[in-house]
Amino acid sequence: MNLTSLLAAVLEQSTPILLAALAAMITLRANILNVAVEGMMLAAAFAAVAVGDWSGSAWPAFLSALVVAVVLSQLLALLTLRFFADFIVAGLGINLLAAGGTLFILERYYNSPGGLRPIAFPDIWHVPAGSLSWLPVLGPTFEGQSIIVLIALVAVPLTYVFLYKTPLGASLRAAGEDEHAARSAGIRIAAMKALSLAISGLLAGLAGAQLAMDKLHFFLPDMTSGRGFIGLAATLFGGGQPWMTAAASFLFGFFGALGDRLQVFAIPSQFVLMLPYLAAIIGLTFARWRILVRNRPARIQDNLQ
Amino acid sequence: MMAPALSNFLRVIRAPLAAILLTLALGFLLVASITDEPVRAYRDLLLANFDSLGNFALFLNRATPLTLIALGVVFSFRAGIFNVGGEGQLYAGAVTTTVVAIAGASLPAVVLMPLAIVAGFLAGAVIGWIPGVLKVRLAVDEVVTTLMLNIIILLITSWLANQVIRDTTAYGAVSWMVPSSIWLPPLPFVPRATSGFLVAAVLAVVSWVVLFRTQWGAEVRAAGTNLRFAEATGVPAARRVISAMVIAGGLAGLAGALYVLGVGHRFEQNFSPSYGLVGLTCALLARVHPIGSLATALFYAAMLNGAAYMQISTDVPRSLVNLLTGLLVLLMTARLRRAAQAA
Repeated sequence: MNLTSLLAAVLEQSTPILLAALAAMITLRANILNVAVEGMMLAAAFAAVAVGDWSGSAWPAFLSALVVAVVLSQLLALLTLRFFADFIVAGLGINLLAAGGTLFILERYYNSPGGLRPIAFPDIWHVPAGSLSWLPVLGPTFEGQSIIVLIALVAVPLTYVFLYKTPLGASLRAAGEDEHAARSAGIRIAAMKALSLAISGLLAGLAGAQLAMDKLHFFLPDMTSGRGFIGLAATLFGGGQPWMTAAASFLFGFFGALGDRLQVFAIPSQFVLMLPYLAAIIGLTFARWRILVRNRPARIQDNLQ
Repeated sequence: MMAPALSNFLRVIRAPLAAILLTLALGFLLVASITDEPVRAYRDLLLANFDSLGNFALFLNRATPLTLIALGVVFSFRAGIFNVGGEGQLYAGAVTTTVVAIAGASLPAVVLMPLAIVAGFLAGAVIGWIPGVLKVRLAVDEVVTTLMLNIIILLITSWLANQVIRDTTAYGAVSWMVPSSIWLPPLPFVPRATSGFLVAAVLAVVSWVVLFRTQWGAEVRAAGTNLRFAEATGVPAARRVISAMVIAGGLAGLAGALYVLGVGHRFEQNFSPSYGLVGLTCALLARVHPIGSLATALFYAAMLNGAAYMQISTDVPRSLVNLLTGLLVLLMTARLRRAAQAA
């Protein structure tokens, strides 16, 4: 019983991180360090709550979260690919724009800078309670999880198939690994990078929708609290591979869930909340150290950055 | 002789100036769509800081931490490190200064004041050292580590401010006051402005001299341009990068120390309206130049404070500035044509 509730908590905590990590992974394979996942998540979460509040139904809220995140990703693509802005600076700009824009809308149109808490909010589809009782451990773990959790789990093999088993995915990876070679092979670099950013926006939008629509049903200006960056760390930790990235995301999600449990003991909550971030730094350091030890004169270092 | 220097100067500031003007123009359209008095709103946003001596003092107080953090960012970026950790380094400095000042309240002020300031500097320096070492020795991405460290430091200071040094008579997460004997004196002629601004202005000049007129600075910049090449030519590049990060963190820590001793007189958990990111914005807007950073920090301080005056006089929310900052950072490095391929 206790194990299944921990597993359910890990799955719930991991999902936004996993989606953010896949979002960062898909651009990393096109040689973009995407720091804007955080901002795209935040804007998506806001869109989900605002549209859900206004329309009273779940699907428009869900779709608008995805649309907002993809639009932001294409704004980033426009500025970096067409107007040659620096990826990290413009990505931070997206984050600041998402944070400033949502705050501005909250102050101006909702008159509540503290957040947006609709009185009634439509429910997104959750796995019904008791429907999976024939499965011993996994059943109770999945019962009550939102459909976005299931989408996130399916997204891992999907990104794997896309990157490694489709011509488009191969072109995307080629564009990321060696621009000059890819260009002479006839691959349109800018289009590939814009595509990777669009997929990234879609995944970040899912992450934002999960944050807002799963259990909370409200929006807070700081509700993403660095999950986009933890996802980025998970991707770097996983070396840009879908399976390893997913594993790292679950590891960070586990530390998050563990933190919630430890709060019962007399440990100050701040130290418990710190765990996923500490885990990210230590995990990343360990991953780099292992790579460094394994291949000394490493060209791979340049590829992974 | 003068003309080429002037045209060079104009060429350098053209791009950031264009980004600022474009952002302000877009913001003006937004303001005009929600208020009847867009000109009034913009006048207050940009100029209300100079309406009274009191406003001017608050403006200088705002510019002080921004300048110091921006200078730190200049050191780290010149060394090739994308240091986004200004916020964490600032908080580490502020809280350490407060803890030292409270713990050492019985010491004479001549001892305690330098001790508290140095402690703040060192705390920031340690927080800058960690991502520096990880980047140089293991190629751990510094953007991620500095962002993670920001969150970790904020949680540690939240614990300190709530449980350890909390002023139990006050509302909110604030520490006890630091002894008034070690408060920084006000700036001459501007009663309520902190003399920390003088420190920041002097350090801007010192930073320029160190980075552009010393061998150490040249080696830092060489390491930042191409670490391997610098190593190959005999520059101890890894060590230079790490020490630049130590200074970067130290300057942000100093910003926190001077804020506590000069303005806040205690540690407040939410004293910073993300000074870290705004300082980064100032440094990038100034094309990572120390003197330019002083100018952009002053500009940004005017905007941040002006937003409050604007909100009072018109019904434009002050978060307009957050929105404009996002636009500015987004547009800041954009250009119409591909830049000449850097080495």
